[in-house]
Amino acid sequence: MSEAVALAAEPYAKRRSFGQALILAAPAIFLAAFCITPIILLIQMSFAHHDDGGLWSPGFELTQYKALADPVFLRVVSFSLLLAASTAVVTICIAFPAAYFISRMRRRAQVAWLVFVLGALSLSEVLIVFAFQVLLSSSGVVVKTLVDLHLMATPHSLYPNLGAVVICLVYLVLPYVILFLYPAVSQLDEEMPQAASTMGASPLRTFFLVTTPLMRGPLVSSAALVVIFTVSSYLTPLVLGRPETWTVGVHLSNTAMDAGDMPLAAAQAVVLVTAIIGLLALVRRLGGGGRTAPV
Amino acid sequence: MATFGLQLDHVSKSYQGVLAVDDVSLSIPHGQFVCFLGPSGCGKTTLMRMIAGLEQPTSGTIALNGRDITAEPPNVRKFGMVFQSLALFPHLSVGDNVAFSLRLQGRHAPERRERVAELLKLVRLPGLEKRAISELSGGQRQRVAIARALAQEPQVFLLDEPFSALDAKLREEMQAEFRQLQAELKITTILVTHDQREAMTLADSIVVMGEGRIQQEGAPADIYRAPANRFVANFVGLSNLLSVEVLDRQTVRMGASVLQVASSLAPGGEAMLSIRPENVQLADPALPRGESNVIEARITSVRDMGSNMEVQLECEGRSLMTVVQPREWIGVGAGQTAHVWLPKDHCRVLAA
Repeated sequence: MSEAVALAAEPYAKRRSFGQALILAAPAIFLAAFCITPIILLIQMSFAHHDDGGLWSPGFELTQYKALADPVFLRVVSFSLLLAASTAVVTICIAFPAAYFISRMRRRAQVAWLVFVLGALSLSEVLIVFAFQVLLSSSGVVVKTLVDLHLMATPHSLYPNLGAVVICLVYLVLPYVILFLYPAVSQLDEEMPQAASTMGASPLRTFFLVTTPLMRGPLVSSAALVVIFTVSSYLTPLVLGRPETWTVGVHLSNTAMDAGDMPLAAAQAVVLVTAIIGLLALVRRLGGGGRTAPV
Repeated sequence: MATFGLQLDHVSKSYQGVLAVDDVSLSIPHGQFVCFLGPSGCGKTTLMRMIAGLEQPTSGTIALNGRDITAEPPNVRKFGMVFQSLALFPHLSVGDNVAFSLRLQGRHAPERRERVAELLKLVRLPGLEKRAISELSGGQRQRVAIARALAQEPQVFLLDEPFSALDAKLREEMQAEFRQLQAELKITTILVTHDQREAMTLADSIVVMGEGRIQQEGAPADIYRAPANRFVANFVGLSNLLSVEVLDRQTVRMGASVLQVASSLAPGGEAMLSIRPENVQLADPALPRGESNVIEARITSVRDMGSNMEVQLECEGRSLMTVVQPREWIGVGAGQTAHVWLPKDHCRVLAA
């Protein structure tokens, strides 16, 4: 898809005028000032010398990066990636069918659903996390219902644990993924699955052999979106999880705030940013290379 | 009684109260090549989709070789279908597209390869198994779609406007090739088209559809020579439609003239006389022939098309068109009067 867009844009690129350059200057300056500069400062700080009392002095040393080999930190990183990957899988299993069915509804129903999804997006993360805390508490409606149905013997809180963290994270990213997949799914040529069915494919096989491969690009991209969003999540694992379900984000904040080691926190952040960039490169290869859907 | 072939019995389809297909009954013998011909929105594609199982009829039954298949889903019927968009899978190579149904049947890889090679040879694309769909030209994609639909050896082969996206020259080549292929394979084939030339040159039999109903069915030549009603006369080829009054079974009155016709309707009513432009003959203005049905006409315009001349006439207050070969041209110009001969055998009277 991206190749086709690039090809179509080529003749325009040649006649790029001064006006266009001026228009592009605004986002370029904004990005340089508020994205690239902090990253440079972060990298600089990660090589600085750590002094006691949350202070640091400029310098160049690899102490922090050597400290990253710490098994605790490595465990936190691998746990974060695993958590992010499972959140991505669960989210896509819900969002893909949801987007598909919404796109097949009548126009008015589609609008209603999309407004509903957007509504969920407008809630603040803090609000959602604390709402989940209330919902999953021993006096919450979920526990009460489970007890009433005799599925739970005595009321006890459903958090903190990994399940609560995953459920809340899925809730947080679900609207993004539905809205991300919706345009791609609505453009899916209805005749492709129909052609598969006239060749003897059951609806289930059609879904896995035709619909899913056609949507590979958008599915891989949305999975990456979820992973990036989740791997650095902070509030959800802190509120709904236990120390062993804390992510890199929580660990990083502890390093910076509690231990007061800013250079080490900076090094951890650099690793996180690098990992995310690496992931995006991988997604480009997976989703963009070879034959992809014309969506 | 078990009949060999495809039977449609009082099939109707309505969408939110609007009838798309209205009470269609049709019997297609095994091995026949049938064209559904009609303007867009006449229900021909809906009818084909019901045959494929992609739509459920609102009422009526569809049977194959005497067995009711109305409730069968498309993946059980497995009628090969070529879609208007072709619907080739962009994530699969040419070979994998063609092998799609074979893979679903669980055929082994060597057998699949052999069959794919055979099919690609059949559609004259040998050795292109590894190509991506995006690397093919329009005509090549067309052939891959046909090969893919034939891979499962379908009992019924359905094609929805398969040649409409091709340019005129390629379209005629593909049509000729396809006709030959169908004759070799002897598969019951239904082709949906709005192009009457395509229908005339390809099909054993044509089903003309309009407003969701079958307007006429029969051999292409019969439909052209003897259109059953105004709709068919207008849609299949060009027709002069002249309002007349029926006098008796052999004669009609058009203005002041009385014309002899081959067959007519019940006397007394208003009707339409239909005659093909190529059957209207211009007689020498000075020497009207001693035939019946020679009437005076005023020439309103002459268009020289090179291979023939298109002449617009006005007679008895009705406009009429004729096509004349240049060597038969009598050299009259617009504004002059001439005599036209409407040969009795070509005059058909249709309900108004």
